[in-house]
Amino acid sequence: MGSSALTTVRARTLFAPLDAGGRAETVARRLTQAITLGLLLDGERLPAESQLAGQFGVSPVTLREALAMLRDLGLVETRRGRAGGSFIRAPDDPQAVQVEAVLRLLSVHELRDIGDHRAAVAGAAAKLAAQRALDGDIATLREHAGRLHAARSRTERRRADARIHVEIAAAAQSPRLTREEMSLWSEVGDLVWLPVADDQVAEVAAEHDRLVDSIARQDPEQARQAAERHVQAETGRLLDLRLRMGTA
Amino acid sequence: MTALGQPPGAARLGHPVLADPVLAARATSLLTGITQRIGQVLARVTDIGAAAESIAAATRAAGPLLRRDDFSPLRRLAAELLRAQAGLAAGAGIVLAPGTLADAPRCIEWWWADQQARVSQLHVDLDPESAEFYDYTTTEWYREPERTGQPSVAGPYVDFICTREYTFTVAAPIRCGGRFIGVAGADILAAQVERLVLPGLAGLGRTAVLASGHGRVIASTSASLPPGAALPRPPQASGFATLAGPGEGPAPRLLPWSLLTVPAP
Repeated sequence: MGSSALTTVRARTLFAPLDAGGRAETVARRLTQAITLGLLLDGERLPAESQLAGQFGVSPVTLREALAMLRDLGLVETRRGRAGGSFIRAPDDPQAVQVEAVLRLLSVHELRDIGDHRAAVAGAAAKLAAQRALDGDIATLREHAGRLHAARSRTERRRADARIHVEIAAAAQSPRLTREEMSLWSEVGDLVWLPVADDQVAEVAAEHDRLVDSIARQDPEQARQAAERHVQAETGRLLDLRLRMGTA
Repeated sequence: MTALGQPPGAARLGHPVLADPVLAARATSLLTGITQRIGQVLARVTDIGAAAESIAAATRAAGPLLRRDDFSPLRRLAAELLRAQAGLAAGAGIVLAPGTLADAPRCIEWWWADQQARVSQLHVDLDPESAEFYDYTTTEWYREPERTGQPSVAGPYVDFICTREYTFTVAAPIRCGGRFIGVAGADILAAQVERLVLPGLAGLGRTAVLASGHGRVIASTSASLPPGAALPRPPQASGFATLAGPGEGPAPRLLPWSLLTVPAP
C-alpha cells in the first residue's frame, strides 16, 4: 500500500461500475466490498481458485488477476505449501479506514462534481416519480424510508439510502435513471454516510421522509427541489469533511 | 355493446365504455392476441414450476434436505422456454422462499439469453449491496403468487435485478407438501410487448393506449401519454373511453389489461 501505483489500482478497484471496466476489476471490487463490510473475515481462507472463478462466472486467469489486485491492496495474502491458499487480511475497522482513504483520493472539485451529477439524477427521478408513481410504488418508497429509520449501522443506513434512491428512479418508470442511480451509489455510496454524526442520523432520515412525502403528494416541482436540496446537503457535509482532512 | 363483465380481482379503471361495437370487437381481438402470447410464456413457466415441484417432492421423499443443485435440471426447461419464446421472454427460472434450501438462505436459479441466443445463468454476487437489491421477496412478482396461490403478471416495472429494463414478470407459485416454497417465472421486456401490440393499436384509427390493471400505460399511440405514464382516472380523464377489457379475453384474472381511446394530443 502507499505507492501511487497501488493507490490508482485501489481507486480503479473501488470505482469500477458493475457493467463497465474489466471483469477482474469487478471481481476485485466485489471482494473488496465483502471484506470492507465484514462478510469475509480476517484470516478467512478463500475457496480454491477454480471454485471461486466458477462462482463469479469468470475464467481462472481473470480470477488470478483479481486476486493479484487484492494482494497489491494488502487485502489478500497467498501462502504456498500444504496449508497454503489465499487468505483474507482485513484491517481492524475496514469500513472507516477505506472510505476515508477513498475520500482523501477525491479532490474537492471532484466531490462537488459528483454532487452535481447526483443532484441532477435524483432531482429528475423525483420529479418524474411524482408524476408517475402509483399507490404501490408509494408504499414501496415508504417501506424503504422506514428501513432507513430502523437502520442501526452506517452500512445499513447506506444500503437503505441507496435503495430509496434506486426505488424513486424505478417509480419514475425510467430504466436509465435507475441504472444511473445504481452506478452512482456503487461508485460513491460508501462516502455518503461518512460525515453524518450520530445525532444527525434522525434528521437525514427525516429528509428522506419529506422527499417521499412530496412524491406521494404528486407535486413534481416540490419533489425535484426536495431531492436536489437533499443531495446538496449531503455534498456539503462531504465537502466540509474533505476540507477538514486537508491535503495530507 | 354489452356492459363489461367484471371478474373478481380485476380492477376496473373507471372510464366509460365506448359504444362502438366494431371498434370494440377489433380492440378485444387485439387484447386477446397479446393475452394469448403471454399465456404461451405462462404455460412454459407453469411447466418449470411443475418440474420444480416434482424435484422438491422426490428429494424430500428421499431425505428432508433440499439443495440448490437438486434444481439444476431446470436449466434445460428454462433454455427451452427462452428458445421457444425468443423475442418475447428475456429470462426465466425459479426463486425459492428463504429457508427452503439446506445449503443457501435464498436462491435464484435464473437464466437469460443474449442476442446470440446463448443461455447464461444470472449470477447473484457476494456484494451485500446487491444482496439488498436481490431481496426478491418484496417484489410484486414474488408476493402475488405467494399471496394468491395463483399465477400473476407483474409490471411493467423497472427490473433492477435481472434485465435492468422495463419489464413484465410472469410468475407461478411452486408448492411442496401444501406449502409455498417459491415461484417459477419469466421476464418479458415491455419493449417487446409494445412491438407486438403497437401495429394493431395504430390500426384502430383512434388515439389509443394499452394499460395495465394498475392504470399504467404499456403501449400508446399518444405522444402525450407515453409508456410508463400513469393513466388519468375519472373525473380527470375527460375524453377517455374503454374499448376492451378488463374482464374480456382468455385470462381476465391473470391479465386485467384494458384498451382505451384517449384524447388526441
